[in-house]
Amino acid sequence: MRRVISVLLLVFTVFVAFSAPYNTTIKVLAWDDALTQALKEGIPDFEKQTGIKVVLELIPSGNLLQKIGVSVSMDKTDYDLVTVDEPFVPALAHLFTPFNNWSAGKVYKKPNLSVFAPNAFEAAQWMGTFVGMPVNANVYIWITRKDLISDPKNKQEFKSKYGYNLGVPKTFKELRDMAEFFSTKGIYGFAPFTKQAEGTTAEAIFMFEGFGTRPLEIVNNRVVVALDDKKAVEAINFYKELLKFSPVGALDMGHSERIAAFNQGKVFTMFQWPALVPQHEDPNSSLVAGKITYSAPPVGPAGASAIRGCWVLGMPNASKNKDAAAEFAYWWASLETGTKLVPKGFTPARSDILLNPTMNKDRPWFKAIFDSMKGSIARPRFPQYAEASQIIRDNWLAAISGKVTPESAVKKMKDDLNDLLKKSGY
Amino acid sequence: MKRKRTFKHWIFILPALILVISILVYPIFYSIYMSAYDWNLFHSDAKKFLGFGNYLSLFKDREFLHSLWLQLGFIVIALPIETIIGFFVAILLNRDGKFYDVVRALLLLPVFVLPVISGLTWRMLLQPEYGMISFILEKLGFGVKAWLAEPNFAYSMVIIQDIWRMWPFMFMFIYAGLSGMPKEYIEAAQIDGAGLWKKITKIVIPYLRPTIATALLLRLIDALRIFSEVYVMTGGGPGNSTLLLSLYINKQAFEFFNIGYAAAMGVILLIVALIIAFFIVRGNIQFEGEKG
Repeated sequence: MRRVISVLLLVFTVFVAFSAPYNTTIKVLAWDDALTQALKEGIPDFEKQTGIKVVLELIPSGNLLQKIGVSVSMDKTDYDLVTVDEPFVPALAHLFTPFNNWSAGKVYKKPNLSVFAPNAFEAAQWMGTFVGMPVNANVYIWITRKDLISDPKNKQEFKSKYGYNLGVPKTFKELRDMAEFFSTKGIYGFAPFTKQAEGTTAEAIFMFEGFGTRPLEIVNNRVVVALDDKKAVEAINFYKELLKFSPVGALDMGHSERIAAFNQGKVFTMFQWPALVPQHEDPNSSLVAGKITYSAPPVGPAGASAIRGCWVLGMPNASKNKDAAAEFAYWWASLETGTKLVPKGFTPARSDILLNPTMNKDRPWFKAIFDSMKGSIARPRFPQYAEASQIIRDNWLAAISGKVTPESAVKKMKDDLNDLLKKSGY
Repeated sequence: MKRKRTFKHWIFILPALILVISILVYPIFYSIYMSAYDWNLFHSDAKKFLGFGNYLSLFKDREFLHSLWLQLGFIVIALPIETIIGFFVAILLNRDGKFYDVVRALLLLPVFVLPVISGLTWRMLLQPEYGMISFILEKLGFGVKAWLAEPNFAYSMVIIQDIWRMWPFMFMFIYAGLSGMPKEYIEAAQIDGAGLWKKITKIVIPYLRPTIATALLLRLIDALRIFSEVYVMTGGGPGNSTLLLSLYINKQAFEFFNIGYAAAMGVILLIVALIIAFFIVRGNIQFEGEKG
């Protein structure tokens, strides 16, 4: 009997091994947050379906580039897939296999561009080639306290003071007025991002775009400094105005400070990245869970914009497991995976999930992500972005904190950016 | 009688030698090699030989000079203060008794706090709304402020944080030296009518000079590579007001990926460390072979 069972087990193992489309292991490097944690939970299913064993390594997003830098080169790689934040795609593009060259999946279908949220695939584009596949629709969305704007007393007082209806701020002017209004009622009107981090650069570019200018532009494949002095100064002054209605310590606020202030019910409105929204909606840690409304960011005098920072899945040229890696990417992007993993914290890049009414019932920010993606803009796309970001950030912070005048900060920002471009051979 | 060195001696030394070469000597020479190239981590295949080009660029780089200045300032301010506090507390607690044993042990606690935890704790203490230090400053009439967003204050706080964490290290060394000092020295001075100041300057300090120099040397090495506590406290900001050299090296290497340039800065930091160490060691520490 024992012998029969052993033979049967052996036959079964051989059958399973040879019936799976693949029999290999891939290594994937990704950032660590709710999305990728949710992904982890779905991997056993993927492994069962394909026979591909996945080693998913998650590390803090701030250290991801360093890890890629030491693990991936032209001729060798420790990973078959790596995730890259959008602004850094140009710096790494030469290391990746273009998406067009990724093989067709044996188990999961290779997605076409139309399934992704508007502009999401742009994140993976560099010099006219898609060098990877977007895996989330990461974009500024606007969060506003629903309970405050629906309060009849607030509504009436606001209308009598400003002459129009209180609601989700749709323009910069409305944002300013409403921030001022709530600050007189003991609630901070706005929570800025001012820490020495990438979020501050994003905030600066968001404001500049709102006033119709941008620090850098690509003209005929050449990067040029394009900041308009007058518009940039207006943007800085507007932000300084918003800071008057911001929490104590407004000049030293990062993600944790903003989340804490908003969750304590002290802030009326602010931008947020989708991955952080679940923290606001967790009743165990947020006093405002269920009291938030989501929208695209308010529109500046020059038009709509929302800073985009989609994560892109890149396949290193040196990977020896490209077919299996592509299969994993297609599984990640599939409707089936998204639908299954959204309840576990997954944020999709697909329009069909973002617009799904059932999904939006529990996650009302999905529709806001889709709307924001329509007007989304990228941060300057060129290989030296990290250095440019530092220049923008330092000068922006110097100006909004009053250390220097907006005029001199803008001049210095332009001079420093010009120096950087010169040094980089542009 | 002199013992003859044989081949066998080398066999015993070899494991240690291999270890030192692989984790100390090799990285130093590799850094020097890297520093001679225009080398971007993502374009390693396109690195260009510059010779001393990176070094020449460094001395035109205002950011580098500024961060070197901040780093030296940090050392010049923090280390003497830590030494002075450590010295006087050691003198104060150089007594027998259970109470003193307990106090001495408790005073050492900050040294065991991980730098990153210390940085985060100080960040919380200075948080404008809930931080205890912010609260005290507010009560003293300084108003409610994001203190770490004030350039001078942020730099001072980085130094104060380091003093808080590391003065017990100096205390530990100095106390160890002090407790080994023969009592007769002090008794003889007392008989000669020396006052407290005289006893400290003419007997205690000269006696402890090698101990203090050794402690300073160890602290110097530590202070030159200070990173995590500043990184979590201020991230080098506001602006570049706390961007010490170690943070700037990290920025160039792992944010801008200019590893050739960062290596050149590392080499400069090494040279600075060697120069300062030379002056600390010279005349203060005697090695075995120099005795007699």
